[in-house]
Amino acid sequence: MKNISDIIKNTIITASILIICFILCFIIQNTIETDSLIPAIFILGAFLTSLITAGYIYGIISAIVSVLAVDFAFEFPYFKLNFTITENFVSAIIMIIIAFITCTLTTKLKKQEAFKAEGEKEKMRADLLRAVSHDLRTPLTTIYGASSAILEHKDEFSEAQKIKMLQGIKEDAAWLTRMVENLLSITRLDGDNVKILKTSTVLDEFIDSVLIKFNKRYPNQDVIVDLPDEFITIPMDAMLIEQVVINMLENAVCHAKGMTRLYLNVFTLSNKVIFEIKDNGCGIDKERLKNIFKGYYNSDNTSSDCKRSNAGIGLSVCSAIIKAHGGDIKAENQKDGGAVFHFTLDMEEQIDE
Amino acid sequence: MNNNKYKVLVVEDEDNINNLVSTLLEANGYQVISAKSCASGQMLYFSHKPDLIILDLGLPDTDGTSLLKEVRKNSLTPIIVLSARTDETDKVGALDIGANDYVTKPFGSAELMARVRSALRVSRHSSGNFSDEKFESDGFIIDYDARRVFIDHSEIKLTQTEYNIIAFLSRHSGKVLTYSAIIKEIWGYSDLGSIKKLQVNMANIRKKFGAKPGKKNYIVNELGVGYRMCERNDQV
Repeated sequence: MKNISDIIKNTIITASILIICFILCFIIQNTIETDSLIPAIFILGAFLTSLITAGYIYGIISAIVSVLAVDFAFEFPYFKLNFTITENFVSAIIMIIIAFITCTLTTKLKKQEAFKAEGEKEKMRADLLRAVSHDLRTPLTTIYGASSAILEHKDEFSEAQKIKMLQGIKEDAAWLTRMVENLLSITRLDGDNVKILKTSTVLDEFIDSVLIKFNKRYPNQDVIVDLPDEFITIPMDAMLIEQVVINMLENAVCHAKGMTRLYLNVFTLSNKVIFEIKDNGCGIDKERLKNIFKGYYNSDNTSSDCKRSNAGIGLSVCSAIIKAHGGDIKAENQKDGGAVFHFTLDMEEQIDE
Repeated sequence: MNNNKYKVLVVEDEDNINNLVSTLLEANGYQVISAKSCASGQMLYFSHKPDLIILDLGLPDTDGTSLLKEVRKNSLTPIIVLSARTDETDKVGALDIGANDYVTKPFGSAELMARVRSALRVSRHSSGNFSDEKFESDGFIIDYDARRVFIDHSEIKLTQTEYNIIAFLSRHSGKVLTYSAIIKEIWGYSDLGSIKKLQVNMANIRKKFGAKPGKKNYIVNELGVGYRMCERNDQV
């Protein structure tokens, strides 16, 4: 289907450029009365066609039609095809050669660009895969090791030791779950035509749901919440945006050293809803801040609360999700210390009842 | 076998998960029958008449929803759906064709057991005498005859509609009620603005109840799905 519509589009472009050239030449011939401009205009037309359309075909066709048109309509003898005059014949050959070379060049250029984009995407994917598989190994080691140890030597461990190992299994399994959630979101958002299904979600129901999930994972971490009083609904994929907020809160718990307060504020600005996740911890390193939403780096300064960094994919997932919603995302350091993350979403228009 | 035990049918094709669920249930004093396909689940259902079914949706022979439909043709046996799908539409679909509740994989043992207890309680409610005069849960009281609601001994003034919603949720406490089920019960018809109307009413109810986001509240929001009245001690 896409092919046919492409062909139609390219044909229309080619035809329109040719017609414009033809009209232009006609006007020039009847006003300035010179023939010397005409081949130049058609060459420009063939050049533009090769530049805009894909592949060789349209450029070449355009060149051949131009040659015929020039010969037929604008060169002596008028309205007759005549290649016996050497001058006409040579100019026809030159035009075809120019069209051909332009096509070759532009096609090459387009191919190169596509290659480059593909290569960058591939590299990103490879980086991600490497980071992820590295990070997956660690919790799997705990789970596999601890469970087989308990199965094989269950009498040799004390009750307390067993509980400790089982807790390790539980924690690492929970971590794996979150990792898989993030990876699933990445693959969902990675395609060329991402479609997210937005349903209108009530803000305070959403925040309630987020906090319940967050408290389940970090029962000891208090979150100070400030929400607007009005009834606000936001069109969103609630599951994905939940993941964004939770990733950001979790990020603070994991990386903001010395944090004593964690805030989740939501406020509105005209038709935008701004979510703010703020902490009073150590802030973010300047170098890292630059591409905090881009890289899948291995983090080294994680606190003991979360042993692993989620391969840094947590925040790139956030950014991908917010962008897919048409929103903005930002990370900064506050003047008086601590990091702050913002993201915005469009509010649903209020319908008065 | 002790005859007083509740009989639970577990339909799940993954051996490990089936084992886990069965063991958990047995340890909590339930009698367990387990099946690994839709067909054998159906057979066991008709021969054993279990009190509760825990059903995986992705089964090897046919989709679990076909068993769900089959059971709902002539029985109200509570059904909890286990699902790896996190999509709301799947949840809503399963709930709308008669599932009582859903649990998303991976789940914790406490979570699953709480859902099992509350599903069995719902079925006790609805099979027993339905003329309960009062609903009571942890300081939250509904007097159905007087149509009055109290929290910690002080009355909460609700509008007609708000009361109807609360009463409906409480009669099915523990069960997730989808937006469309609530709308159908309260207004009888639904149009484009219905969900919004319900959400506004729920927001007002939350305000009157003094609900704080993220804290344990009487009503749980199932985003994109519906609402569930929660008996506090069952929250996980």
